[in-house]
Amino acid sequence: MSLSTAPLARAALRRHGGTSYRLAVAAAAFGVVVLAWAVAVLLVRGIGVWGNNQPFVWGFDLIAYAWWIGVANAASLFAAVLVLRRHGLRTAVNRFAEAAALAAVLVASLYPVLHLGRPLLAHWVFPLPMTTGVWPYFGSTLVWDFWGIVSHLVVTSLFWFIGLIPDLATLRDRAAREGRLGVARAYGLFALGWRGSLAHWHRHQAAHRLVAALVLPLLLSAQTVVALEFVATPVPAWHQPRLPLQVLLTGLPAGLGVVLALAAVLRGGLGIERHIDDADMDLLARLLAAAGAGCAALYAYDALSGLVLGDAATRAAYAARLSHPAWWGGLALGALLPQLLWWRRLRLSARSVVPIGLLASAGVWLDRWSLVVDGLDRAGAAYRPSLNEWALLGGGLALFCLCLLLFARHVPVVSMFEIRHEENEREREEAEA
Amino acid sequence: MTAGRPATDPTRRDALGLMAASTALALAGCDGPDEFGQPLWSRGRGAPDAASYATVLELDGLGRGVLVHTRAGHAVKVEGNPDHPASLGATDVFAEAAVLSLHDPERSRRVRAGGRPRPEAELEAALAAARETLRATGGQGLRLLTGPVSSPTLRRLIGQVLAAFPGAAWHRHAPLAEDAALDGALAAFGRPVAVVPDLARARAVLCLGADPLGAGPAQIRLARDWSEGRAAGRAAGALPWLCVAGATPGLTAARADRRLALPPAEVTRLARAVATALSVPGLAATAAHPEAGAIAARLRAAGPDALVLAGPGAGPEAHALAHATNAALGSAARRLVPSPLGGEGLDSERLGSERLGGEGKAGESLRDLVSSMAAGTVSHLLVLDADPVGEAPAALGFAAALDRVPFSLHLGPRLDATALAATWHAPLRHPLESWGDSLAFDGTPALCQPATVPLVASARDAAQVLLALLGHSEPEGGPKAGTARAAVRATWAGRWNLPADSAEFAARWEAALERGVAGEAPPALEPTPRPGWDTLRDPPPTDGLVAAFVPDPAVRAGEWAHNAWLRELPQPLTGLAWGNAALLAPATAAALGLRAGDEVMLALEDRRVPAPVLPLPGHAEGVVTLPLGGGRRVGEVAAAGRGFDAGLLRPADGAALAAGLTLHPTGRRAAPPLAPTARGQEEAPRLLAPGGSLAPPPRDASLLPDWPYPGPAWAMAIDLDACIGCNACVLACQAENNVPVVGPAAVAAGRAMHWLRIDRDVLGPAGGPEAAGRDPPATQFRPVPCMHCEQAPCEPACPVNATVHDSEGLNVMVHARCIGTRTCANACPYGVRRFNWEDHRRAVAGALRNPEVSLRPRGVMEKCTYCSHRIAAARAGAAAGDGPAGPARTACQSACPTRAIVFGDLADPDGPVARARRDGRHFLPLGQLGTRPRTSYLARMEGTAPAPPADGAPG
Repeated sequence: MSLSTAPLARAALRRHGGTSYRLAVAAAAFGVVVLAWAVAVLLVRGIGVWGNNQPFVWGFDLIAYAWWIGVANAASLFAAVLVLRRHGLRTAVNRFAEAAALAAVLVASLYPVLHLGRPLLAHWVFPLPMTTGVWPYFGSTLVWDFWGIVSHLVVTSLFWFIGLIPDLATLRDRAAREGRLGVARAYGLFALGWRGSLAHWHRHQAAHRLVAALVLPLLLSAQTVVALEFVATPVPAWHQPRLPLQVLLTGLPAGLGVVLALAAVLRGGLGIERHIDDADMDLLARLLAAAGAGCAALYAYDALSGLVLGDAATRAAYAARLSHPAWWGGLALGALLPQLLWWRRLRLSARSVVPIGLLASAGVWLDRWSLVVDGLDRAGAAYRPSLNEWALLGGGLALFCLCLLLFARHVPVVSMFEIRHEENEREREEAEA
Repeated sequence: MTAGRPATDPTRRDALGLMAASTALALAGCDGPDEFGQPLWSRGRGAPDAASYATVLELDGLGRGVLVHTRAGHAVKVEGNPDHPASLGATDVFAEAAVLSLHDPERSRRVRAGGRPRPEAELEAALAAARETLRATGGQGLRLLTGPVSSPTLRRLIGQVLAAFPGAAWHRHAPLAEDAALDGALAAFGRPVAVVPDLARARAVLCLGADPLGAGPAQIRLARDWSEGRAAGRAAGALPWLCVAGATPGLTAARADRRLALPPAEVTRLARAVATALSVPGLAATAAHPEAGAIAARLRAAGPDALVLAGPGAGPEAHALAHATNAALGSAARRLVPSPLGGEGLDSERLGSERLGGEGKAGESLRDLVSSMAAGTVSHLLVLDADPVGEAPAALGFAAALDRVPFSLHLGPRLDATALAATWHAPLRHPLESWGDSLAFDGTPALCQPATVPLVASARDAAQVLLALLGHSEPEGGPKAGTARAAVRATWAGRWNLPADSAEFAARWEAALERGVAGEAPPALEPTPRPGWDTLRDPPPTDGLVAAFVPDPAVRAGEWAHNAWLRELPQPLTGLAWGNAALLAPATAAALGLRAGDEVMLALEDRRVPAPVLPLPGHAEGVVTLPLGGGRRVGEVAAAGRGFDAGLLRPADGAALAAGLTLHPTGRRAAPPLAPTARGQEEAPRLLAPGGSLAPPPRDASLLPDWPYPGPAWAMAIDLDACIGCNACVLACQAENNVPVVGPAAVAAGRAMHWLRIDRDVLGPAGGPEAAGRDPPATQFRPVPCMHCEQAPCEPACPVNATVHDSEGLNVMVHARCIGTRTCANACPYGVRRFNWEDHRRAVAGALRNPEVSLRPRGVMEKCTYCSHRIAAARAGAAAGDGPAGPARTACQSACPTRAIVFGDLADPDGPVARARRDGRHFLPLGQLGTRPRTSYLARMEGTAPAPPADGAPG
């Protein structure tokens, strides 16, 4: 039996997507227009259009930031581990996991700029030789965060792009064969003159694995730095050494849930069930369930240390978080709901994995709300997100979807060269047998 | 005139003519009879371009001496006048807010007839015509209506008007006048007296519906005296004892050792029971009260240092009882002086008391006027600086009666309801622009001089209008004969028995202007209770609730409703801002199933008004407190439609207490605009028993070496035992530092910008272990500025070095560097940082702005600077040798009536802050965090020496 990569290339080289594809792109594009409107309003009128106040100076901005970083992290952590372990599953899912990570980082990187009181001065966190002679304060967690998000963006895009080069060359060749020279040139530009020589393959493998190795510590650091922004303040619910680990691990269901849902949608939507097969889905779903189980254990530890082992201020702050529904929502959706995926029948049905994956992701969002808003339990006005904040949240989701839709349309969603490689391996094994 | 055009329609030619005429008039105004130009009438204090001028500002007709700080000719800040006995260098919220009223863009600027702008000359002509008419009739039908008037000049001129027009009469509109106190004084002594308490001396004080530390014309002085008495008590190890009996919790009740939440009738019973227990001579009836024995024992033990104070929350009977009890105790802790609002300057023998309604009870005076107006016997009415249409009880029907007066002139600073209802309106000069004089609550006179150029060209003084009525208005009548300045000079030439052109007068006049005090307080009266004094009886309790009409902490009776600083200030006990609510006891609210913000229909007789309710701990059951001055129907943005108008319910006689109020929930919510001031991390309030002390803060373990401060190390210590929560520091900070007003919506959203906030900690059953057993609860006020921590958590949080430490230990905020990450606000455990969610610069720009403090753009963080510009000015002045004398004082410190805030160099071991830090009451806020705050607190003391054995039954 042989797997053909033709459907993957066909999906990328089709002149027109299907009607549902076009509808999806239109919906996502509309969402991006809403996002653009929200950003324009934000830049013109300032962040006074948000519902923040004293003491809730942060709200949807930091929740969304931490959440998107979590999505990106889990997705690219997953992909990087696959690359480094040369796991068979990687052939199927790593490409769109990487793409999801990249899109999530893109959306996340909006927030550190947009949430500033004076966003046009965001470049002041760069160590620029400005006439003021003032450098950034390198001890500030926000400066660490700036380097964290920039590195994340660079490395994630490199990781995704390096993996894509041989397939871009394939697309270039196929387009050229079909006589579509313009398309061929476009793909050729990004294929960086790939000719498939042994030397190319050798360097490509080295580069790919090198970047994958870079991704791992970076992912730990990116999420940790986000957590450190909270830890470095004396707010009792935030000033906890366990917070970086907690933020890092509870981020996993967010990304895995999104990747799982995406995989289910893609294999149905593009008709590539054979390339993302049941075994892939099975493994991915079990990973999400395991991440959920890990989160549940972490929640238990969190509650234990927050309510029993901590000092009086920690206990009071944790009890305050428990008195709001968001914490319980995070526990139920992010940790407990994925446990359903231990049932094989639920794992293999798109009807169950898509909602479970998305709800697990939403649960992590609630967990971030519980930390950012409910953790700041102080007397004063309540925090009520405004229309602009909802528009930014929805618009960010739309931007993420649009990126993925364009990706699914214009580049191979599953790594073609690796499938061919795997095919060759299998043929060799069969021949040897 | 073109045929067919209505005769009243001006042609283009007419319009041009009018324009030319008004331009000519405006030009003429520049060098007109009145003074115009730089207000350098006296030598200023301070540098020439930043001088202070002494003048006086009135509250309820009584003066508080102030120094007006000017920058380049603009009045930007009011400070207290240390030489004036009603200020002693401190201010209250109303003095601080005066500069905002002065610069209010919504001030009345035009002469109006029937609400429409008219040229000034028309008013002059109308006044001249009125004068001729009245001369012919002997002033029949002429009525003057003023607010409470202590000004010797105005009283002299009113006397001249009454003498020149035998048919004229003077009436007074004073919605906050204490008519019950007048009745009580008349019953006790047979003459009106004013009580000047000496709280510095008093060792045992019983307040009967009185709130001496609350807002009022004597608040600053009384609070200062009280804090000095307390400081002396702390030093001697025996704190003075303060008992407050009354319905509405006030600032005094918050500091009381014993608080009795009683309805007015019970207060009177308590007063009689205490008098009974003290065997006060002349009692016509006895009474008993379970608390009376202990209170009487305390008062008797204090002897001449005991004091019983009756206030607006008690009826006339309690006032009379208080006078008699003080006399029986031989109290030397109060002086009785002639009322500054009555008696002096008017020849009441000759004029007849029926024409001097302005001297008597305000309620009767206004009622007499309205009945004359309604009867059609008033032809000319002059309303001088009062808003009876807006503020008088609606039941009185003033507005309807005013329609029957053919000529009415309203002279007022704003286009209020009276301005629109009167036939003529002329803008009144603000006190900071005008000449005048005033008496303090103890009778000390002071001169009022302009501290700025007049900002409204067509505005005039009340004295000018009276002079015009007397026929002195023509400029050619003599050099500046018609001006207020000339009138004030004439008054004081008369009082000093010196010719106005003598050198001796000139010297004394200049000294009075410069010092801000024009003479001594009158000698105390020594009246004794007349025999048979105990004749007054308060009306017996009736069914229903008692309505207590009280001045609103922000707007008084409504005259401050326009002032956005005061509106936005969280009110001391309720936290309300930009509105008001009917206050009642939590038990009363629970019985009716009401929560804060539920709307009720208040009904008194046939008058009804809907209002939100607010249960207030420590409020007496059976009483509903209704703050006056809300719900203006016309007026400025800050005034109109904010809150409900209790004047719609008030009885026609303007009584402060009215029985028979009913209250029906409407089922609607009308959330009172509570100012949800964000607090820092919570910390249990610390209270110290007498003689107790707190453990010194442990030296926090830090791996970082201490930072050396070779120069001064600025620090602040705030004495919570002295703080009364009067809010003066908050407004002083707002005025000094260009802190913007954000409006009710932003306040409700938690975006108020005050750099200094006052946290309220309720001490009582829910207030923590130290305060257990207090019932009703007391309130601790805690002013919270920036702590200027040595290990400030906000500083390492900032990525762009926008908040850093300076060489003198100040935590400085560099607005220009801030990019608005708001991380520092999260890092601050004290919650003192404020973020500019909107661009507020336009609201602060203009003449009002303090040019030494920069305006902050949208998107940057700001906070208390310890008034670093004042520190810089003091440093520069010391270097140049001619700057402001003495060490730097922060605005909050200068304003504080009780001197609760001290500021200075921590490194100076003999400095005030270092001394405060050696006090056993000293503690660092949230000291366990290791932030080493430079702002620290001295804990409040609770409790006094054990009570002497209670007296038995009256012997």
